[in-house]
Amino acid sequence: MSKAMNKTIAPMPSTINAGHHHFSISHIFSNWRAYYDITKPKVVALLVLTALVGMSLSVPGGLPWQLLLPAMLGIALLSSAAAAINHIVDEKIDTVMGRTHNRPLPEGRISVTNAIIFATSIALLGFIILYALVNPLTALLTLGGLVGYSFVYTMYLKRATPQNITIGGLAGAIPPLLGWTAMTNEVAPNALLLVLIIFTWTPPHFWALAIHRKNDYAKVNIPMLPVTHGVSFTKTQILLYTVLLFVVCLLPYLVGMSNWLYLLGACSLNLIFIGYAWQLKFHAKEETAMATFKFSIVHLMLLFIILLFDHYWLPMG
Amino acid sequence: MAEHSKNTQTLRRLVLTSLLLAIVVIGLGAYTRLTHAGLGCPDWPTCYGLIDVPETSAQISTAEKAFPQRPVEPAKAWNEMIHRYFAGSLGLLIAVIALFSIKLRFSKSSKVRYPIFLPLCILCIVIFQAALGMWTVTLKLMPIVVMGHLLGGFTTLSLLFLLYLRIKGKGINAQGANLVNGQLKKYSNYALLGITILTTQIALGGWTSSNYAAMSCVELPICQGDWLSNLSFEQSFDLIPPAKESYEFGYLAHNERVTIHVTHRLGAIITGVFLAWLAIMVFLKARTHSIKNAAIVLMTLLVIQISLGVSNIWFSLPLKVAVAHNLVAACLMLSLITLAYKLRKNSEESLYE
Repeated sequence: MSKAMNKTIAPMPSTINAGHHHFSISHIFSNWRAYYDITKPKVVALLVLTALVGMSLSVPGGLPWQLLLPAMLGIALLSSAAAAINHIVDEKIDTVMGRTHNRPLPEGRISVTNAIIFATSIALLGFIILYALVNPLTALLTLGGLVGYSFVYTMYLKRATPQNITIGGLAGAIPPLLGWTAMTNEVAPNALLLVLIIFTWTPPHFWALAIHRKNDYAKVNIPMLPVTHGVSFTKTQILLYTVLLFVVCLLPYLVGMSNWLYLLGACSLNLIFIGYAWQLKFHAKEETAMATFKFSIVHLMLLFIILLFDHYWLPMG
Repeated sequence: MAEHSKNTQTLRRLVLTSLLLAIVVIGLGAYTRLTHAGLGCPDWPTCYGLIDVPETSAQISTAEKAFPQRPVEPAKAWNEMIHRYFAGSLGLLIAVIALFSIKLRFSKSSKVRYPIFLPLCILCIVIFQAALGMWTVTLKLMPIVVMGHLLGGFTTLSLLFLLYLRIKGKGINAQGANLVNGQLKKYSNYALLGITILTTQIALGGWTSSNYAAMSCVELPICQGDWLSNLSFEQSFDLIPPAKESYEFGYLAHNERVTIHVTHRLGAIITGVFLAWLAIMVFLKARTHSIKNAAIVLMTLLVIQISLGVSNIWFSLPLKVAVAHNLVAACLMLSLITLAYKLRKNSEESLYE
């Protein structure tokens, strides 16, 4: 019985792997979709947006394209590489989790080796672009973000503690600082303020999704907060963090970095976010967690777009 | 739980009823346009000042005194008024759906998160549709208004259908895995592209009809004679026409109408090829019956729609075929929306997952 099964199954892996053993440019072209998917393009777009806002706010007036373009490209490439490494590290748990089993790596559309070569290449390219065309400080900080996210967060924190994303969130919060240093070549306090906003935003953003996928995470023994401390406790934390986020978002106005337009936008967005968190805690329906997660993305995107508008329409002396 | 499923069922039935009614209203709208009854009533919302149609000789003579520029034609006036009453009922039904959705969304007992943005959006569109309906009359069938009224009707129908799909999908598969495999993923974007192409083609069809260009080309496959040298794009697609007493029976010159008609035919070729390719590829790559069926329905409707378009030319625009060409366009859009909905991706993506 088992022999018969082995016979029928045995040829399968070799045929799947045959196409993936050698890494070549033509393989990337024929399989570009899979390579594109493992870079988490939507997340990278949001990261680049926050970096762009960091650049814009660092200097009054227009930005020199000679810095703008390589900085955006370099940050995008290193972020994509970081996301790809996350896919590579999580390949095994993705196979088991219901929501992620059809990702490129678990589905066998690209091999782990090819993914590693791909991630290393774009990381190297991004680093060289930043180092040569922007400045070494930005290049090193961006690389630090990649290491913090791909290695410290994905390989260690994620599997070690329920506070994983609270700490690991720092890596994903760094892009505004990268944008800022790309323009000024120094770490400014106002840039850290933008980092602080994303840092505070990350836990309520991700825990909403973690609640939605609690069973998946439990199945693969990842100690996300809803798994270790329960859904109810996580919802309280989300609500408290949205209140904290409200306060943190007032800072750019209070320190005189942004004008009343930002204040208005930030207050409205944060009140809605608190509304979602309140509903999640006290009147949760079937899809409230997912809706909260989706709103959190809209929240951050709009907040940074408003920062941008505020900066150019109502510049602070 | 029982109450929640009862609410869902009520909402689903309301939406289904409004969907069927919307198809009827679209059909009646096409019928009104094609029987030249758009100005059957020269005023709005009344018809010659009445809530129905003037029919007794006394009523007709009063009506013609009040509107001397437009002699009463009861048959045309009825077409227009029946369309208005059906459209009005649809508007009221949509208002009920919107109110019911608000109630369900904010009810503490309901366990499901009912859509609220979409029903309110449909309500706004249907209110704007009423305004466009008024302007078709007051602006004397200005082409852009007539085409806008057609597109507004299609938008109402499409969004009602989307609402129906979303309510039907509630509770089912909420926790389940993604049904769409990796190979099919990219067709989700192509289906959205298909919706864009089809929308453009429907708008071109509306432009052809509202400029009375349906009979400007009487030969297959593209047009008669040396059509290529007759094309003139200068005024054919001007959205704001010069001020006229009335736009009934069109105001553009023959070669401009030929241009519009030819554009719709070329659009048909592009749309036909793209949708056929999409349906075939999805059918071949799909692993589930539900997606395969959606592809078959799309292909079938596409064949019917192209045959109807050809029949319009071959038999010189018979009324039934022309109305059917409009209705099947609506069905084609709905089947494409079904396909796009079934192929949709779970797009949630986070850095920390």
